Amino acid sequence: MSRLLHGCSLSGSFASSPAGFESLAASLRYQATTLGLNPQTTTDDPAHGGLSFTLRHPDLQPLKGLIHGWPDGSSAGITEHTVQAACGLMSVHGRASGKAQGLGVDYVSTLSASLALQGVFAAALGQLRGGDFNTVSTSMAAAGVLGIAQYLAGATAGAEAERLLPGATCAKNRPPFVSADGVHFELETLDAEPWRRFWAAVGIDGEQAGQGWKAFLLRYAKAVAPMPAVFRQALSRLSMARISALCDLSGVALCPVRSLAERRADRDLPGQLEQGPWAFDAISAGGKPMRDLDGQALPLSGLTVIESCRRIQGPLAGHLLAQLGAEVIRIELPGGDPLRGMPPCVDGVSVRFDALNRHKQVRELDIKSAAGREELYERVRDADVFLHNWAPGKAVELALDRADLMRVNPALVYAYAGGWGHDRPGEALPGTDFVVQAWSGVGEQIGLASATPGGSLFTVLDVLGGVVAAQGVSAALLHRALSGQGVRVDSSLLGAANLLCAQQLQETDTADDSLLKGVYPTQAGLLAIDCQTPAQLQQLENILACDLHSDPEGRDGLIRSALASQSAATWQQVLGDAAIPASVVVEDLSELAQDRRLKTCLSVNTYTSVNAHWSFR
Amino acid sequence: MSISVIVPTLLRTFTQDQKRVEVQGSTVLEVIEQMEREYPGVKERLIGDGQVHRFVNIYVNDDDIRFADNLATPLKAGDAITILPAVAGG
Repeated sequence: MSRLLHGCSLSGSFASSPAGFESLAASLRYQATTLGLNPQTTTDDPAHGGLSFTLRHPDLQPLKGLIHGWPDGSSAGITEHTVQAACGLMSVHGRASGKAQGLGVDYVSTLSASLALQGVFAAALGQLRGGDFNTVSTSMAAAGVLGIAQYLAGATAGAEAERLLPGATCAKNRPPFVSADGVHFELETLDAEPWRRFWAAVGIDGEQAGQGWKAFLLRYAKAVAPMPAVFRQALSRLSMARISALCDLSGVALCPVRSLAERRADRDLPGQLEQGPWAFDAISAGGKPMRDLDGQALPLSGLTVIESCRRIQGPLAGHLLAQLGAEVIRIELPGGDPLRGMPPCVDGVSVRFDALNRHKQVRELDIKSAAGREELYERVRDADVFLHNWAPGKAVELALDRADLMRVNPALVYAYAGGWGHDRPGEALPGTDFVVQAWSGVGEQIGLASATPGGSLFTVLDVLGGVVAAQGVSAALLHRALSGQGVRVDSSLLGAANLLCAQQLQETDTADDSLLKGVYPTQAGLLAIDCQTPAQLQQLENILACDLHSDPEGRDGLIRSALASQSAATWQQVLGDAAIPASVVVEDLSELAQDRRLKTCLSVNTYTSVNAHWSFR
Repeated sequence: MSISVIVPTLLRTFTQDQKRVEVQGSTVLEVIEQMEREYPGVKERLIGDGQVHRFVNIYVNDDDIRFADNLATPLKAGDAITILPAVAGG
């Protein structure tokens, strides 16, 4: 079992983390353990109202990581639930789930832990290169906003801006689908023809199948997939066995929405949980001289990343490395990545594309040609990282696998951000976000919390997978600097899914930290409330002047009645003053930049973009 | 007959930045062939080996031609063709 950073150690105020940070602390400890950091709980400095931790190594000055609730350093009212409300995640998830509501998994907590560790690894590397880095500050709210950056771009793209509010599309006529015998399942195909064949076999005409295909393609970009109602009606007459047979005949992949209990019983799981979301393979490379940093530079300044990635997960990983200072050279097909033209566009470029790629240089190259490959070898010779997210087997086919690139640069960090990961337990299925959500149990968890047949149409795993991939690269670069070894790092959507549910997968009886949690209408707008302590619940009872110990339905009715007298913004203030976690639920993403709590993490230009996640000093 | 083609951003370099062009043709293929004559370079960005590229979607009015007769999809006066990049997979 590889423990990449076993010479380093991590200590932190994990046991005394404030209410709202427990899941974040648990994820951070888990991630640190799988990296070999042997996390130790201390009581040092929990006073700043968030979570603090320190990375140590004999060659380093101690490096401190701080995770606040909000970018301004405060943590008032922050919990997983309220931050999902404040940063627009509930809004994006709500586009296809009927209403603004939480994902039901500790998503922002997991993202925050991963991003904070990534920042500290990068800062440690920066310090080894002569930079003056001692503290890395981050926040949960900034992590939440980073998660929806592409959707935010789409919602703020000037004249072409998309206006997709919670409940924009029907929560029933969307994937996952349901068979006559009640099985929930995802379909996946990257081509129209198998889709057409499948629906023809089900009895749907070409025009309806075409409408469905158009909607199906919207999933990844817009978090909606409004299917013709006849799809659901037709499938409700067919057994799972019949649907499965039709999928086989037509070439469409099918994946039942599996439960977390099923996932827990998989033979690969114990090993995957012990390994963590990365597989590292380090090989002695005889060292490589590190370029020194200039005084004011970012931690990865002067390092070069060659990225050959499409869509979301890989480009996001490259984007984060660029925001840490690396020079990222993006290899695109001759003619450029077609997604550059995906509406909405501003100044001729897709804002969704720009949100993930704006800091990169682009080199158009046909990597299938001998000349293109030679140029890539030349570029890799002087690079620090090569990052790709090709389909399984393609790297070998292109002679661009780790062994091929090691020959030209033994000290390279070779990173693969894939679908199923190194051991590939689900290889027969396409490794795309919604299939992996279904297979991994993440989809079931989200569906249970959202009253939908399965996962979110928000790209839950592509985004977390991208963050995890960049974190793996940062860890590998630090390891290389400490040991002189070149590193291969494999990460995947499945690894991200395992990480997201690591607590529930390890312990069957994980209790929700909340005593009262919900999204409630007010006189104007929705309010998310999340009481985590008896004292908070008591305070809420006092303020709303009602008994909240009744059954959940009766209780919610009482809360709704009480909240009808004021706006959500007023209640946020009133409950905030009483230290009760509560936040306005942002429904319209175009209003996000008006929230003063988020001001420092957003830039309003031709569209609203998300600033670099870390602050170094 | 005259067909209106909504030109995607990536092809506007060929159409002198025009967002919409009027082209003659009675099938989708004929329209693309005619576009190629008027705006050379467009065709190979849309078609390879006689098929629409995998990463391109072509709609007649609101209908994906892959669910009609592909490049042979017939057109009538007043139809509009929209070309969009495809995003399959995440």
